[in-house]
Amino acid sequence: MTATTRRERRGTIAGLILLLLAWEAAGQGGWVAGGALPAPSQIALRAWLDRGDYPAHILGTLRTATAGFVVGSLLAFVLGVAYTRWPRLQRAMSGVDVTIFAMPAIAIVPILIIALPGDAPRVVLSALSVYYPAMVAVVLGLRQADPRLLDLVRVHGGGAVAALRWVRLRGGLPTLLSGLRVAAPAAVLGSLLAEFGSGSSAGLGTYLIGSLGRADPARLWGIGLAATALSALAYLAVGLVAARFAGDTVPASTPVGTAAGQAAGEVRGWVARSMPLLAFLLPFALWEAGTWALRLTDVSEIVFRDPAGVLAHLIWDEGAARNRGDIAAALAQTLPFALAGVALGLAVAFALAIVSLLWPPLGATLLPLSLVTQSMPLVALTPLVVLIFGRDTGGILAITVSVTFFPAFVTIAQGLALVPPGLRDLISAWGGGRGIWLRRVAIPWATPYLCAALRLAAPRALLGVMIAEWLATGTGLGNLLNEARGRMDYGTIWSVAVVSVSVAVALHTAAASLERRVLRRFAFAS
Amino acid sequence: MGARDIRIDAVERRFARAGQAPLLALDRVSLDLPAGSFTALIGPSGCGKSTLLRLIAGLDAPDGGAVMVGGAAPRVLQREGRLGIAFQDAALLPWRTVTGNVRLPLDVTGHRDRESLARIADLVALVGLAGFEQALPAQLSGGMRQRVAIARALVTEPDVLLLDEPFGALDQILRRTMNAELQRIWMRRATTTLLVTHGIDEALFLADRVVVMHGPPGRIATIVDVPFARPRPLTLFADPAFRALEDEVAAALYGRVPGSAA
Repeated sequence: MTATTRRERRGTIAGLILLLLAWEAAGQGGWVAGGALPAPSQIALRAWLDRGDYPAHILGTLRTATAGFVVGSLLAFVLGVAYTRWPRLQRAMSGVDVTIFAMPAIAIVPILIIALPGDAPRVVLSALSVYYPAMVAVVLGLRQADPRLLDLVRVHGGGAVAALRWVRLRGGLPTLLSGLRVAAPAAVLGSLLAEFGSGSSAGLGTYLIGSLGRADPARLWGIGLAATALSALAYLAVGLVAARFAGDTVPASTPVGTAAGQAAGEVRGWVARSMPLLAFLLPFALWEAGTWALRLTDVSEIVFRDPAGVLAHLIWDEGAARNRGDIAAALAQTLPFALAGVALGLAVAFALAIVSLLWPPLGATLLPLSLVTQSMPLVALTPLVVLIFGRDTGGILAITVSVTFFPAFVTIAQGLALVPPGLRDLISAWGGGRGIWLRRVAIPWATPYLCAALRLAAPRALLGVMIAEWLATGTGLGNLLNEARGRMDYGTIWSVAVVSVSVAVALHTAAASLERRVLRRFAFAS
Repeated sequence: MGARDIRIDAVERRFARAGQAPLLALDRVSLDLPAGSFTALIGPSGCGKSTLLRLIAGLDAPDGGAVMVGGAAPRVLQREGRLGIAFQDAALLPWRTVTGNVRLPLDVTGHRDRESLARIADLVALVGLAGFEQALPAQLSGGMRQRVAIARALVTEPDVLLLDEPFGALDQILRRTMNAELQRIWMRRATTTLLVTHGIDEALFLADRVVVMHGPPGRIATIVDVPFARPRPLTLFADPAFRALEDEVAAALYGRVPGSAA
């Protein structure tokens, strides 16, 4: 066991060194995209020359990302506890939660910058990026408590608060912390994306945007690597705290699960029937309430649009037809790329995950690499990808595929790792070869995980395309948003935000419904 | 406060099943457990014995009939912190030591007076875990964990003790030892006790009465009185009178036992 992991680690390190050497050679030779990929030594030299710029920008991003992480985690904790206590509240809030998860963060950057002063947009976007993964971890951690321990608390007269205090909180801590570990890089990413739009205060995102105009790939790469290092450090820092608590709540024996079947907060009748409608309406209600709250501040009212304001811009205002046309045309440019990117990313991930089953060295190399990318602000590295793959189709597709492939590969490969080894022996015992095993076991087994990956990847792909459009290609929704920002066309800013968030939520909902159907078909859920 | 009696009066419990008629888990079950008595409940899987125990614990509510403990609803007993319970699996908090786990009911009920806290050390010693006070559950064997669970069930000096197959996961040798220990502990302070078990010998060794259940739908088939005086020695398991009683319970469980004269 230890020997294999050590050999694997040695293999990974050797692979990384080889990669670095190849990179150096390619950079020195200027083989990739006419020198768009500088050698590591050139990047290091540039970063040394720029050393005076870095501290302020790194501190700027670190400050807002930390604030966002704290705010987002606290919000996730409070709501997660409330959801565990009142499952109906979670159902009612599901629309808001899915919106926060699926929305392409860049789409609301201009709105945040209009509405909020100073660093607040960066902190808010960072907090929103942290909220969903952290909230899911809190709920999961609190709900996985041993049902017999909960019975024990009840038998001694303890209520929900006692159960939370003595059993759920401490027991859920490792899950909660591993959720925060995933959320920490998201905080950095949220801050970076908001910096793309603000462009004034110090931050690595500001620095990256400011350096785009100078044809200096080495500097862009330096900033990209600094941003990557920052989020990797955030991941490791939270990981260190998590490691302190990991394992000490692993049950010393397996639960028999007597009361586990009791459905939490089962609702019937009209309450249950009206839940989806409430969940659908709540995001709009919060939006309306938010615009009312902003009317109380001294921010000019002309910059805000409530739901009616956006409908007016798209339906009955003067020039509504043109507004609609602009957005439809932009959407027609954006959506195909997002869908093609998802399809390509998932297909490659699925194929490679299956192939690594037959040829394990592939998986041993790809899985650690894919896991590492989870702590990278991939979409924020768009300028680098565009530099290499070009400002057109290739660049956009490269972004979308890279933001969808890695998480999908992790999901599918980890799912396939759960195939009981006995199944393979069974097929061999009956004289079946690899082909039979793949067709009858591995591929059906991986299908539900493919669907889960689709649900996670679809909103991300839309974000990737929009960032590429905003920063590089000058097409689609991302560009429309950037242009509208430039000419202070608030109606369009709000409409593009609403349309792109709606599209992302629709993609997510469609993928989730497909996933449910597949899970039922494969009998993973009753 | 002392032991309390338990009255189960024509209790019914149904469980909804997807796409099928509801399962009748308990069909008008009536049973009286006198204060300070030790009753064993035995029957095949799915006969409703654990359901009955959950009703007495106030963890579940009947669809018909009533469960009264000391003349009040089980919830009252819960609120007063006068219940003790142990499950088939020890169900310990992995992050708490032996002492900490035994202390949990005191934390939940808020009865952290000096007298109650002092009881923890006595109980840990009583279940034979002296020297392991600061050990974590992962460092203990299965039998030791189960003894922690028994100590935890007793720490509030409960009026009613509910044991749901507490030794079901232990091997036969350890089970006998634990049976003898439970008897010793129980005799120090007679508490109205209900033991749910699959073991005929265990039921007869510990209880005043063995209630044999059939089901589903769950109902009481026979009640066998156990005449042996306490303390019962481990040699009782080999006693012909004990063996005869085992056959009687088995006959009630399976309908008839081949080879038995009765």
